[in-house]
Amino acid sequence: MADIQLENLTKTYKDVTALNNVTLSVHDKEFLVLFGPAGAGKTTMLKMIAGLEIPDDGLIKINDEIVNIVNPANRNVSMVFENYALYPHLSVYDNIASPMRSKLYKESEEYIERAIKDVTTKMKIDTLYERLPSQLSNGQRQRVALGRCLVRKPNVFLMDEPLAHLDAKLRHFMRAELKEMQSSFNTTTIYVTHDYMEALSLGDRIAIINEGQIVQLGTGSELFYTPCNEFVAKLMGEPEINIIPAQIIRDKDVVKMRIMKQETLVELPEDVAEFFRHNKIDTVDLGVRGNDLSYSETQTDPEFMEGKVFVLEPIGNRSILTVDIEEHHIRLIVPNDFQKEMDSTMYVKVDLTDTIFFDGETTEFLVRHNQTNLVKGGK
Amino acid sequence: MPELILKNVFKRYDNKNKKKNKEMLPFAVNDLSLRCREGEFVGILGPSGCGKTTTLRMVAGLEDITAGEIFIDDVKINDLEPSEREIGLAFEDYALYPPLNVHDNIAFNLRAKGISEEEIMRRVNTIAPLLKVDSLLKAKPVGLSGGQKQRVNIARAIVREPKILLLDEPLSHLDGKMRQVMREEIKRLHKDIKATTIIVTHDQLEAMSLADRIAIMKDGVLQQFGTPLEIYDDPANEFVAGFIGEPPMNLLTVDIRKKGSEFFFIFAGESISIPVPKRYYDVIADGMKVRLGVRPNDVFIGSEDSKGSDVEISVFEGLGEERRLHFRVGEEFLTLITTEKIMYKPGDRIKLEVLSEKTHLFDINTGDKIQTEKQ
Repeated sequence: MADIQLENLTKTYKDVTALNNVTLSVHDKEFLVLFGPAGAGKTTMLKMIAGLEIPDDGLIKINDEIVNIVNPANRNVSMVFENYALYPHLSVYDNIASPMRSKLYKESEEYIERAIKDVTTKMKIDTLYERLPSQLSNGQRQRVALGRCLVRKPNVFLMDEPLAHLDAKLRHFMRAELKEMQSSFNTTTIYVTHDYMEALSLGDRIAIINEGQIVQLGTGSELFYTPCNEFVAKLMGEPEINIIPAQIIRDKDVVKMRIMKQETLVELPEDVAEFFRHNKIDTVDLGVRGNDLSYSETQTDPEFMEGKVFVLEPIGNRSILTVDIEEHHIRLIVPNDFQKEMDSTMYVKVDLTDTIFFDGETTEFLVRHNQTNLVKGGK
Repeated sequence: MPELILKNVFKRYDNKNKKKNKEMLPFAVNDLSLRCREGEFVGILGPSGCGKTTTLRMVAGLEDITAGEIFIDDVKINDLEPSEREIGLAFEDYALYPPLNVHDNIAFNLRAKGISEEEIMRRVNTIAPLLKVDSLLKAKPVGLSGGQKQRVNIARAIVREPKILLLDEPLSHLDGKMRQVMREEIKRLHKDIKATTIIVTHDQLEAMSLADRIAIMKDGVLQQFGTPLEIYDDPANEFVAGFIGEPPMNLLTVDIRKKGSEFFFIFAGESISIPVPKRYYDVIADGMKVRLGVRPNDVFIGSEDSKGSDVEISVFEGLGEERRLHFRVGEEFLTLITTEKIMYKPGDRIKLEVLSEKTHLFDINTGDKIQTEKQ
């Protein structure tokens, strides 16, 4: 059982502000992901909850109790760092037992046995007691390491980029392993990562951190479909979302849009047009992901914009096609057998039903088609 | 724009620990033959220790060749000094000269060769815009970003107008966004300068994206040499199958079982059963064990009345652009990827189908692709 409250946390190292007035509430048994670029302040937040850093200002509460100056050992918080580091000479059983045999806990062997049985059954490692770490698969090793953290029933489980040192392939499997185990944690968990796939996959909610502040807090669907600004949109997806400038053109009640300097004015989805009838913003940025563009070798309708192939990159199950339109590099996802010479002419059309509209001046989120349904229908 | 040819090249490093251990080290490069065509962009890809960098260093002349021959066109270069080989080299760490500005860094090797200042000026001014460093010529390296340093590094390699351009992990120090941009630029640059180019990398995405053809190495031995799509669609063995593609190909040990006149792949206890494509019928038998490979996007969710296997979802991941479903098969997962906007939770059951024409079979002992008559 643990709710966590961070209230107006601030931390400064010399003249660098690591955290700037951060307030965040984590629910009991929630899996919350702190996601952002390197140096954003994610790990500092985690260390403050663990008690490894003391805030200059603000309160940290676990179950409504202020713990700012409580010793790390007395917070009943368990932290997993980047490498799982099992004791190589100890069996699985003894590895998991090690924290409970420490001076701090010194539990009885009967108690330890019961606790280990409980956690290892949940994590499906109860048949591996006698094995040494070197005799385990990667997935088993991860489970043993997490089991060792969970066995003493911490109030809060803190994980700092546990998959960051793995290559892309192993990360894919280990993320699935971790996700499969998630329900067996049954503990409030805070997970730090700079990988958007981990954030989307694992988080009940995700807090996007940048420059010591929370930029946006929400479910994966909320962040993916309605990012609060262009910064957040750019964090999610590979290749990075296209940001294309456009102008809203009004003629009485008719609202249309000019994308870049294209001659043809394009129609907007009705709910988006309605938004711009009421909000007199003229300069917008379109956030368009690589899947949300159509392409053609001929200009089948006037909304197709003419460009030249900059490069075509086959990357396995698909290819990334970069088309140069008015000196903007627009990246599209195309099938992997698509072929086109560099510099040949291509026509590209933005699918406005999946476009995210940002304010061209402030880069803040404005609107998107079908907004409420998408977010509710999310994960 | 010459050809680069490697003929039966071997490399064995001396065992420096002679007193303790008299044994010979294994070959770092073992009987490598490669022919890079004029103006071709070749990627040498493999995990660390596979011999890719050693190969590059032998081409550059930084490493002796134990046996075999290397030619640039019809000139054997085995015994040429590095400086005589007319090769441009850009390493992973940029190693720019800190006291020199960008212009002088790019010009450094030309000056060493005694080329006239006028000619140097002309060449630097031609190369700099190609690599978008023309506005940085007066800057010192210390103030440059990683991407800018790598641009200068590559400019320095190509300003010598080399016959062959060698790039050793040029993108590995860059962050994700910068890597995408540099990848595109290197690909454009290759089109502009048309030099026969080799890039060494451990990142399959980089090799796939950049190279006309990819040579995949493991333990010093060439595994397969082909276009990115050839290697992706028709991997020569299990190693290549597992190394190429993100997320990786599903690779599972399965039983082949005959039911009536038809064969099936059976795995996950008995719970998953996939019809064996007819093209394999000549090379399989009832009771045989094989390694089955199928890419996550060649697995799909069948309709209600589908003949697919009824399976339980172990893990569901919503990843924005795509969703991944994982099914537990012993210690491993079978993964399915879809871009459809669907949602499941663990424990839900679906009908699992596999595009049986997109299955790959590998020998359970050797890992080699099981050849069929038609191929």
